Amino acid sequence: MSSVLFLNLAWQISTLALVALGLAIVFGKLRIMNMAHGEFVMIGAYAPVITSTLGLPGWLQVPICLVTVGLIAFALERSIIRHLYGRMFDSLLATWGIAILLREVVELVFGRGYQSVTPPIPGTINLFGADYPAYRIAVIAGIILGFGCLYWWNTRSKVATQIKAMVGNPELAQAVGINTARLSAGAFVFGCCTAGLAGLVLAPTIRIEPMMGLDYLIRSFFALVVGGLGSLEGLGIGAGIIAGTQTFIGSVASQTYGYLAVLILSILFLWLKPNGIRSSSR
Amino acid sequence: MVSVLLPASALLAALLLVPELFGDFVAYQIGLYLIYGIAAQGIGFLWGKTGVLPLGQSLFFGIAAYFTAITLRAEGHLIVNLGLAAIALAAITGFAYVLAMLVFRGRNESGPYFSLITLALVMIAEQVAGTATSLTGGFNGMSGFSSLANLDPFGGFYYVIVAATVSVSLVLLLLNKMPVNLIARAVLDNEPRMQLLGFPTHVIKGAAFAFSAMIAALAGGLFASHQGIVTPTSTGFALSAELVILTAVGGRFHVLGPLIGAVVVGWASAELRDSFPYWELLMAVLFILVVLKAPGGIAELIEAAFRRIWPKPANETLPAHAAPSVRFDKSPVPLRFEDVHLQIGVVQILNGVSFETPSVGIVSVIGPNGAGKTSALNTITGNLAVTGGQITLGEHAIHSQPPHQALNSGIGRKRQVPSVFFSLSVAENLSIAMMANRLRLADLFRSSTYQWQSDALKGVLDHPEVPLAKGLNEPVEYLPQGHRQFLEYAMTVAAEPTVLLLDEPCAGLSPDETGLMTTLVQTYQATTKGLVIVIEHDMSIVEAISDKVLVLHLGQVLTFDTYDNVRQNPEVMAVYAGGTK
Amino acid sequence: MLKKNAILLSSAALSLTLGSVTAFADIKVGVLVPDSGPAGLFGPSTRNSATLAAEKINANGGINGEQIELVFADVGVPPAEAAQSALRLWKGEGAQAFVGMHDSAVREALIGRFGGQVPYVYTPVYEGNSCADGLYVTGETPSQQLEPVIPFLAEKEGVSKWYLIGHDYNWPRDTNALAKGYIADAGGEVVGEEYVPFTVSEFDSSLQRIKESGADAVLVTLVGGGSVGFNVGFAGFGLDDQAIRLGTLIEENTLAGIGAGNANRLYSSSGYFASIQTEAAASFAADYSAAFGADAPALNGLGQSAYEGLMLLAALANKAGSVDVAAMDAAAEGTTWSTPRGNNTMVGRHMAQTIYLADGSSGAFSVVTSFDNVASSENCAN
Repeated sequence: MSSVLFLNLAWQISTLALVALGLAIVFGKLRIMNMAHGEFVMIGAYAPVITSTLGLPGWLQVPICLVTVGLIAFALERSIIRHLYGRMFDSLLATWGIAILLREVVELVFGRGYQSVTPPIPGTINLFGADYPAYRIAVIAGIILGFGCLYWWNTRSKVATQIKAMVGNPELAQAVGINTARLSAGAFVFGCCTAGLAGLVLAPTIRIEPMMGLDYLIRSFFALVVGGLGSLEGLGIGAGIIAGTQTFIGSVASQTYGYLAVLILSILFLWLKPNGIRSSSR
Repeated sequence: MVSVLLPASALLAALLLVPELFGDFVAYQIGLYLIYGIAAQGIGFLWGKTGVLPLGQSLFFGIAAYFTAITLRAEGHLIVNLGLAAIALAAITGFAYVLAMLVFRGRNESGPYFSLITLALVMIAEQVAGTATSLTGGFNGMSGFSSLANLDPFGGFYYVIVAATVSVSLVLLLLNKMPVNLIARAVLDNEPRMQLLGFPTHVIKGAAFAFSAMIAALAGGLFASHQGIVTPTSTGFALSAELVILTAVGGRFHVLGPLIGAVVVGWASAELRDSFPYWELLMAVLFILVVLKAPGGIAELIEAAFRRIWPKPANETLPAHAAPSVRFDKSPVPLRFEDVHLQIGVVQILNGVSFETPSVGIVSVIGPNGAGKTSALNTITGNLAVTGGQITLGEHAIHSQPPHQALNSGIGRKRQVPSVFFSLSVAENLSIAMMANRLRLADLFRSSTYQWQSDALKGVLDHPEVPLAKGLNEPVEYLPQGHRQFLEYAMTVAAEPTVLLLDEPCAGLSPDETGLMTTLVQTYQATTKGLVIVIEHDMSIVEAISDKVLVLHLGQVLTFDTYDNVRQNPEVMAVYAGGTK
Repeated sequence: MLKKNAILLSSAALSLTLGSVTAFADIKVGVLVPDSGPAGLFGPSTRNSATLAAEKINANGGINGEQIELVFADVGVPPAEAAQSALRLWKGEGAQAFVGMHDSAVREALIGRFGGQVPYVYTPVYEGNSCADGLYVTGETPSQQLEPVIPFLAEKEGVSKWYLIGHDYNWPRDTNALAKGYIADAGGEVVGEEYVPFTVSEFDSSLQRIKESGADAVLVTLVGGGSVGFNVGFAGFGLDDQAIRLGTLIEENTLAGIGAGNANRLYSSSGYFASIQTEAAASFAADYSAAFGADAPALNGLGQSAYEGLMLLAALANKAGSVDVAAMDAAAEGTTWSTPRGNNTMVGRHMAQTIYLADGSSGAFSVVTSFDNVASSENCAN
């Protein structure tokens, strides 16, 4: 395997895992099929556009991204999403509406045109004998680090256990003193914020426009079902299989075959292994 | 029949008036919305009745549209074209049936996984349609053919669409009246119970999906003929999503709901799109509101208004029909466990269970919590797959058959927590139970099937103390726990199983009700001369009814003997320390 | 019965209006613009350009002495819905001619519905060879964009190894089929060819293949967002040092999305750029910003094509003396007229026009050279 292919795989897998993380929380934990997930990625990608439009310094991109996405997610959770817990298909429909809504609002604010963001780290560096964009290498490293921290937190934190309890039996969880309303709102906002961060991180490497969200939604869903809901390892494995298949078939055959292979693989998993390769709980 | 003919003829009249009142061009526009509406009606049937949400319905729509385009291009004879259309429709229906049946086999859910499979399929179809340029014309589509029988899309073809719309609506309205409708709703409500009643739920869902696919394909064929062009968008994800939205907005629980949704949304977006720049925003907000506040869609709002003026007539009780006899062999046979092992994850639940019951009589199963009593019943009915050993009923090994086969072997089962159809009425619950194992294909489409009654069921219902005969039309969700126990019992014995499995039938019952239940069980056994296996904690009941008692402890048989011998067994006393409950 | 009444009523209404107002005798022209969907970005500039053209035509005396009035419809939707929108204008509002800026699938649907009964000018860049009755094309076809440009670039940049990448649909495949011939004629070779689904937004493996192929020129027939994503990645991997890029649908908005930092040695071939320095183009641009303000939607080849379409319609209809398809078909061949793009001639119902090659390296297009009166080889035999 050439080192560029290896780095491409690392880039694809790590960014897909980051994009899908929020969906894993919202779909896996709260059972909300969030069709607006890609739109949060999109809004995150607009954060650098906001800072440059307002003439703010670059380091403000991260807080601006989190605050914007977090506020929108919180408002949506309080007004719409909270009525949808336990109504999975309704959640799918309502969030589809939300997705259209967010696209339209962003279009009203920023216009329909493409935006361009320059990477904070320009140029390429030579790694394993391949010239690879420096920014991408930094992002890959950052994502691996971030997931490490999350894994560590997940194993020790009480919140993860509480969420699990809440999903298993909301009434009982409430009875033992878990504030389910706050917890689910928190989980939803957190999930959306990771999507926003993913958008921010990807922004210098992709196109930015109001319609971009859909690209990220479907792949994330497939990564989740292949890997299995409910665990970070599963998420990593799912992202690996989906991104790996696309990248590998895409480079040995063609992108069209890579895309079709991902779809066929997803169908096989959904059919034969609906709980994914790995699932901690059903 | 009024509730079928009235809406169907009203629909026909309304559609025939459109070209007269508004002219041919408006009729042409409405024609397109009706075509989408037909496909959406298929979605409404599947989603509203069985709870399966198809996200890839344009797969069938698009395949049929391409097929129609290819056929019309060849300019064959009308009869040949219609014949080919019928063959294509059958092929698409068959494909959809096999697909859904394979996916649903061995699962008790209709959740998002199947929906995502249909989504992935439609994405594949859209890509293939775009790439296979030589076959489909690629992105630019396939065009340059005239419509079916060379009818004018702006004129005569509208009436073909009207005929299709009214026919599909009529069929769906008729199905609403038929047992098949009740069965579909029961599958949505409680799939495991349906399986224990002997219904192969994967076949039912497969058939429902195939039916909706056939409707979508019909719509697709009309679309090609009406539009004169088929492009990958006709088999695309966006159209699939659009069809689901039309269904949701119009109302998935009503036959005409999706049609209303398609016409209203189609008309509104055509009117607003060119003049009102925020129409997409408006549609999104309206759609969210419908999902949140009016899940029944426009049709339900209309019906609510209509019912305020014209209340629904009360259900009249119809005379009972003698049910055909069940199909399983009614001769009594013993149930035998041979070294049965059951392991779930790392936990060993059953650890070499062996016993053989008599072929006639009442056997009680006792044992402390965690002994494996309910799990043993689960292995008999196939709800859990044994990991070793075998279970035979008479000559037949039954441990590897799926749950819906249990009743075919003559095994009926009542669950620990009453498992009934909560969204249906008592009478509907009993109707379903009466259909169990008796139903033949033709009975699905005959309304007399609803009134079937068996001696065993009559015995329970006519018993003066059983609290079910009154309030047969009440919904089950408001029934008290005790009544639910009797309902589930009545549903289980309705099929007159030769082996009746009862899992704590007296749990949650008052002392009087407990007495009643034991009497019913004893009477049933006495009249059917079959085998009854009861899990029971209450030793006084065990003493009163048991011919033999099976004691399970830690996944093994402690002893299997008469009540008196069990009572004096020192091992049993050690486990139980003598308590009665 | 009811129908008869409706007809009576409407004819009564008609006779009431006919007597009083002559403004109703205007020629209505349906303008089909993508307000929604993936091409929705081009909706506003298309509307604006069409409006400007109508003003110009009316100021010059209209079509055969009659003023024209524009009626717009959104065709940025799937073909069935787009065709309905167009038919509403035709059958509902009485539009007598159409100018359309939309994708090819919608064009095929419209050809079927119009059936040659109404003149229809198709304006955007497209794959060529569409020759239905009553259809006239102003848009650039692949031969126009590539035949003069490929040899020019081969000479200027010294490139010979071409890599062809496009979205997986008709236009890129047809474009590349022609491009191969021009590349061979210029002494070059094709070192790779691939097509990417619309749904794929990651181009890493394509970029890797381009790198390994040793290509020194890439012909980009990706559209819209895909083109932006590809070009951003292309420069991110430093491939801009290895190869020049030539796009046949990279207009001002796409370039803005790519960004100046990613546009090094990026060429675009088109019949129009906002930065064309000819007198006609400059005056058009000035009119545009005067009419719609300085921060109006940026001018670009696709949006501006609606202006061309209306001008073509006016030129043909004036020459034919009517907006009747048969009369216009008879008069079409050899019609000449001038627009911001330059001097145009109708050849095989396609527009022979000036083709500009622009360099986007700075983040804005600067025209490198232009080729006058380039005719399409994918035109119609008449």
